[in-house]
Amino acid sequence: MLQVADIKRTFQSGDTTVHAVDGISFEVPSGQFASIVGKSGSGKSTLLSLLGALDKPSSGTITVDGDDITKLHDRALIKYRCGKIGFVFQNYNLVPNLTALENVMLPMEFGGTSKKVRMERAKLLLEQVGLTADQMARKPGKLSGGQQQRVSIARALANHPKLILADEPTGNLDTQTGKLIFDLLHELARSEKTTILVVTHDLSIAGKTDRTFQLQDGMLAEH
Amino acid sequence: MNVVTRGIRNAFRNVVRTVSIVVILGLSIGLSLSMLVAHQAVGQKIASVQKSIGNTVNVSPAGLRGFDGGGNALTASQLAGVAKIDHVSSVNKMLMDRLDSDTTNLKTALEIGNLGKHFAEHSGFAERRVSLGADGPQETTNFTPPITVVGTTTPADVSGTPGGGTFSLQSGKAFDSASSENVALVGSALATKNNLKVGSTFTAYNTTITVVGIFDAGNSFSNNQVIMPLTVVQKLTSQPDAISSATITVDSVNNIDAVTAAVKKALGSAADVTNSAEQAKQTIQPLQNIQAISLYSLVGAVAAGAVIILLAMVMIVRERRREIGVLKAIGASNGKIVGQFMTEAITLTGMSAVLGIGLGVLAANPITKLLVSNSNGQNAPGTGHMGGTTAVRVIDGPLGGLHHSFSNIHAVVGWSIIAYGFAAAMVIALAGSALASFFIAKIRPAEVMRTE
Repeated sequence: MLQVADIKRTFQSGDTTVHAVDGISFEVPSGQFASIVGKSGSGKSTLLSLLGALDKPSSGTITVDGDDITKLHDRALIKYRCGKIGFVFQNYNLVPNLTALENVMLPMEFGGTSKKVRMERAKLLLEQVGLTADQMARKPGKLSGGQQQRVSIARALANHPKLILADEPTGNLDTQTGKLIFDLLHELARSEKTTILVVTHDLSIAGKTDRTFQLQDGMLAEH
Repeated sequence: MNVVTRGIRNAFRNVVRTVSIVVILGLSIGLSLSMLVAHQAVGQKIASVQKSIGNTVNVSPAGLRGFDGGGNALTASQLAGVAKIDHVSSVNKMLMDRLDSDTTNLKTALEIGNLGKHFAEHSGFAERRVSLGADGPQETTNFTPPITVVGTTTPADVSGTPGGGTFSLQSGKAFDSASSENVALVGSALATKNNLKVGSTFTAYNTTITVVGIFDAGNSFSNNQVIMPLTVVQKLTSQPDAISSATITVDSVNNIDAVTAAVKKALGSAADVTNSAEQAKQTIQPLQNIQAISLYSLVGAVAAGAVIILLAMVMIVRERRREIGVLKAIGASNGKIVGQFMTEAITLTGMSAVLGIGLGVLAANPITKLLVSNSNGQNAPGTGHMGGTTAVRVIDGPLGGLHHSFSNIHAVVGWSIIAYGFAAAMVIALAGSALASFFIAKIRPAEVMRTE
């Protein structure tokens, strides 16, 4: 369960105070697939950073699986990001000199999983997202955009996260591949019982999620 | 795959950059090592020079040096006070004289040569004679190089004599320091020239002198000397109590300046007092310059190495800001990321250290010799003009041979130096990655998200 209560994030830009996120509250139950749509500059990435504990809100609370992450200290935040959150980025953000398999194993290494277990789970996840053994041994530069995003999704799932945050996961893909990736995320949300929150500006994709929120000028409204 | 493995693999992500860093850093480490070796080798040489010659004070009557100049002889009673000065270990007293054909039956082993002839004629010791021979007019001189007699209280030490050198007894034995017998140690050249052996006798000052030993001092001039007990020479030359030079040995080189001052105070204007430390100081000045240059170069090379790896690592960290942000976003701690980058820095530096140590081993000795030879070239000692042959002779006085030993400095790269090299490389790596680590810690994953 993801519970967000009246979170605000303000930045100082010269003499002006920018309200990137302005008193947002919402809830997403476990295993639900939700989307947030909004124009560029509406505060989508800021909201995602706050939910992923990459940034701290100016006020408000964010509760994930019963823990208020706004009150966690730095070490606990690292543990939270490692164990309870999975990220899927628009640009995939895979480590270029590691193979697909090693990229998926990386979060498990940070989580303290043994080498044997992380190897087995990484292979399983990559098989689940549709990569062949040959593709698993390739570095990101030798994979297509769609394949890289599949690796990115497998990596996000590695530590059995409670919440997957996806920032424009289909933004760099063609329509057909984007649809495949979206369907994959949807399927994994069900099979892994993971809450998935997708930030997108693609209304056709957003319309297929369980819930859709509209973000405009830092304010959220549910469709 | 773990932090260390990833760090090592990252070091090879960009081969061109890696090779460039390794070569530049390797040169820096090689230069550091060469300078360290040069610094140590020169330091050891300075220490040995100071140890061997740095603790004596030379006293001669004011205005007299060897057989040149003039002045009044010192007396044993004057030097008795010197022996009581603090830190004085011993006082070697000498009285020198010259034997010629009027005062001895010995024949000199030195050839006059054109140089000796020139000095003799211009100093009034010789007359030029021109006679008409079968082949026309022939110029001759009545001068022959004299034989130096050294009356001494320490027969086994010729360092304070005009010829200097290192005393080595070839046969027989040295006389007792307080002996009053008419005995002598004869230089090997003089002994050969006059067919003298241990037990042979010769005449000097109308007295029969018995040869008790033959010595070699390592140079022609000293090997033409006769060494006799001080009291005997004083008696035979009718100079009772006279001392023409004294060498004072001080217990430590650290006390030499204090003893020199005390001796000057004790003897006043009656004596010229110099110490070997002053001479050594001047002589080893070039080496000290080399030592300073090598130290500055060492510090510079180590600093350059640290700056090279520091800038390289800062550049790498800045280039991988997004990747660092991603690693943080997926659960990596600052410690793990810093560890990964430090491993990368250590890998780069380790490879550079191997190259640098190889270069250092090859270059250390030539660089040291080059520094020393350049220094010697700029500070070459003046040549003496003793003896009269046309062949070149090296006079080994108290300091005369030092410049030759300088050129014999051999820089050795031992295991300890190699260990120092690796340790320095690790220090460079850690220092170089420190700033990079600071930048890594400052990178916030959210900032990376915003720049995407």
